[in-house]
Amino acid sequence: MNRRRISDKAFTIAAYVVFGLLTLALLLVLGPILVKGASAVLFRGTVEFRELQMDEHERGDAQALAEELEAAEAARAPVFQMIAEFRRGIDIDPLVEQAREANRAYGDLLRDQNVDRDVYRDRRRAARDIRNTLIEAYETDQEAVAHDKLDKVLAHREDSIFRDTPFELIFEMARDYRRIVESVDLDHRDEYGRALDEVLAALRNLLGPLPGEEMPALIMNQYGATRWDRAQVHLENVLWAEKWVPAGPNKPMVKKRVPREEQFAGTSLAPLFPLLEKDLDEMLRPRWTVHWQYFIDDSKASHFFGGVGPEIIGTVLLTILAILFAVPLGVVSAAYMIECGGDNPAILVIRTCINTLAGVPSIVFGLFGLAFFVVFLLPWLGLSEGSSILAGSLTLAVLVLPLVIRASEEAIRAVPHTYKEAALSLGAGQFWAFVTVTLPAALPGILTGIILSMSRAAGETAPILFTAAVALGPIPESIAQPTRALSYGSYDMAVGDRIAAMVPHKQFGMVMTLVVIVLVLNLAAILLRARISRKLRG
Amino acid sequence: MANLPPDSAAAAFGRPLLTTPGELSLTNYVRKAGRAVLFLLTATSVLAVFLIFFFIIREAWPFIAKYGLDEMFGSTGWYPEADQAEFGALAIFAGSLYVTGGALLIAGPLGLLTAAFLSDIVPFQARQIIKPVVELLAAIPSVAYGFFAILVFAPFLQEHLGMATGANALNAAILLAIMALPTIVSVAEDAMMAVGKDLRAASYALGATRAETVVKTIIPAAHNGIIAAVILGIMRAIGETMVVWMASGNASQIPSPWWDLREPVRTMTATIAGDMGETVKGSDHYRALFTIGLLLLVFTFILNLITEYFLHRVAKRAGGMKL
Repeated sequence: MNRRRISDKAFTIAAYVVFGLLTLALLLVLGPILVKGASAVLFRGTVEFRELQMDEHERGDAQALAEELEAAEAARAPVFQMIAEFRRGIDIDPLVEQAREANRAYGDLLRDQNVDRDVYRDRRRAARDIRNTLIEAYETDQEAVAHDKLDKVLAHREDSIFRDTPFELIFEMARDYRRIVESVDLDHRDEYGRALDEVLAALRNLLGPLPGEEMPALIMNQYGATRWDRAQVHLENVLWAEKWVPAGPNKPMVKKRVPREEQFAGTSLAPLFPLLEKDLDEMLRPRWTVHWQYFIDDSKASHFFGGVGPEIIGTVLLTILAILFAVPLGVVSAAYMIECGGDNPAILVIRTCINTLAGVPSIVFGLFGLAFFVVFLLPWLGLSEGSSILAGSLTLAVLVLPLVIRASEEAIRAVPHTYKEAALSLGAGQFWAFVTVTLPAALPGILTGIILSMSRAAGETAPILFTAAVALGPIPESIAQPTRALSYGSYDMAVGDRIAAMVPHKQFGMVMTLVVIVLVLNLAAILLRARISRKLRG
Repeated sequence: MANLPPDSAAAAFGRPLLTTPGELSLTNYVRKAGRAVLFLLTATSVLAVFLIFFFIIREAWPFIAKYGLDEMFGSTGWYPEADQAEFGALAIFAGSLYVTGGALLIAGPLGLLTAAFLSDIVPFQARQIIKPVVELLAAIPSVAYGFFAILVFAPFLQEHLGMATGANALNAAILLAIMALPTIVSVAEDAMMAVGKDLRAASYALGATRAETVVKTIIPAAHNGIIAAVILGIMRAIGETMVVWMASGNASQIPSPWWDLREPVRTMTATIAGDMGETVKGSDHYRALFTIGLLLLVFTFILNLITEYFLHRVAKRAGGMKL
């Protein structure tokens, strides 16, 4: 007896738990999609974002933006200065070039002054020797040698022949370099160089192209972090170096994070990292932004920037066309089967076919659409070549047809018999009784079915894979062309290319848009149905 | 009375009344013609099924004629673009079997419990609130499930459960189970609801607990509908494309050891979806994909007929019980 009661309780609890799991699954699937997707629209946009919007769409206040950019520039200036300073000790090529340039300018000056030929030769030789010594100082990786050479250069700084000439720059550079040699470990110059390159790459992601650099050709490289959340990720990359270190003998290498500050400890670059961490919001000026234009903008650089406008248009077009094809057929079929059909064998065959249609896998619909609409019917009619919106929506129409029929049937069946009988008794014919009385009464139910079919058509991917969808491409000018769609776009963003992985908010934004459309349609259907059942009960 | 002519008053009495004047002649023909048109429109579904079979077979037939189906069932070597093309699809069939079977193992019991929960445990009012949860699960587009599988669930499996790859048969099976659940729940629940109050009352009157009533009375009584529910769940899972394409890893191999669902697999649907973009129209590869599609179509068609049979029995039972 006791055991039976326990098993009964266990059963009830298990049922509640399973239902809880279902709800949890729903929340777990929808949660990340909706929350992360929402960040495509609502996020903390940086000044880079506002600059992008101004450049691309002339959105925003130009005056305010200019002021903001100036302030950001000012905040960034110390960073760039520090880098330039450090670079002088690491990257000697520009220094060598600068030294040669100073020497050349000195030569030009001498020529302009028309000095005596022998004097000219002597002075040039002296200058060249000093220059070469300086370059040797630059090129050596031994601190003592560098100091020695620099001393040799600086010994000439009081020479009268160089006073007030461009050659004085050489001595200034030597003084600069001595300071650098004291702070930078010349042994590790290559190492520093590599690390600096990494820092610069991360910094470009964070703040955009560095001053003095050529504007990159790709738009994705022309701006720094446009969003504060991405800025944090890029900041991490600036602040931390990833290294693969051996974990031990016969063990795979493991990834280890080393703070850059440690990597550059003792150099003039070390203060850069705390400064960046502290002043990043000054440099990027994040502000909460509602970027509703995400839903109308075209995408840029494979969705790196921009929105999902064309995808929404494509999905809406496909869905509405499919519904336009399927609904008249579906409602007529449902009406016929109920009003005129009875239970004869023909209706039985039709019903079996409708159920078969409902059970056909969506990818087979895709194959069918390819073989029938794309390859056979539409080219034969001269309507389109290759995949097109028309082919895709026709395929989707066949897919949702059974849904429309079943929903319409149910709705028509739910209309009380008395309605029709009253109409017939008033002298209406079968046809008019149906059109003027039964159909209007069934309309809300049919509408519910139509809304649900729309949601299904909008969400399907497999049927449009070969019939209508492209991942990237121009906005279609007619329904004879293929289109982008939210569903296929979501797939493409999820598994597609390297670029998409760099912008997770765009990945989730795309699928969020699709899910929101589908959820809104379903919610509408649920509410509509609740109203109908209330009406029928009352 | 027996020698009255058929058009006598008595026979006319049996005919439906003509309610509108003038319906006798021309209007009647119009009506008949109208009916014929409506019938033809209704028969579009039949035409659609016919066209689907015809065009898939048309594209697949040259492959079957050239290689025969035993090429596909004979080996696991799927090298459709090689010089010596091989179309051994055993591993692909196995992949479909793995994910569908895995999904069924999860969704079957859970679906039945949920159906019992809805039909026998929660009060009627609560069901109106609870059902939308199941409906929303069914409404989420498959590509969104796939998206979740590859970008949220796969990294989770990889990082927290220590799997070599998150895109594997297990991932796909779990997601397919979630997707098949609403189908199983709604059909099984309908079947359980259709079991009348009298059976329940009788069971309780005999002193059975609720668990015993559900397990020993309602489920056996509703078994036709439950079988139909499970088959519909299978159909949903085996025909699903996007989730398995994105989540199953797409490696044409049979997991070894055979029970290891943590290995990536490749299914029939994913093969069609993934390969079609790379084929030349009319090539052997293209036709092989149509052949896989045809197998899928035939398989689901048979399953569908079986479901029809069981659902028909449910309807008959329910009809019989009302008496």
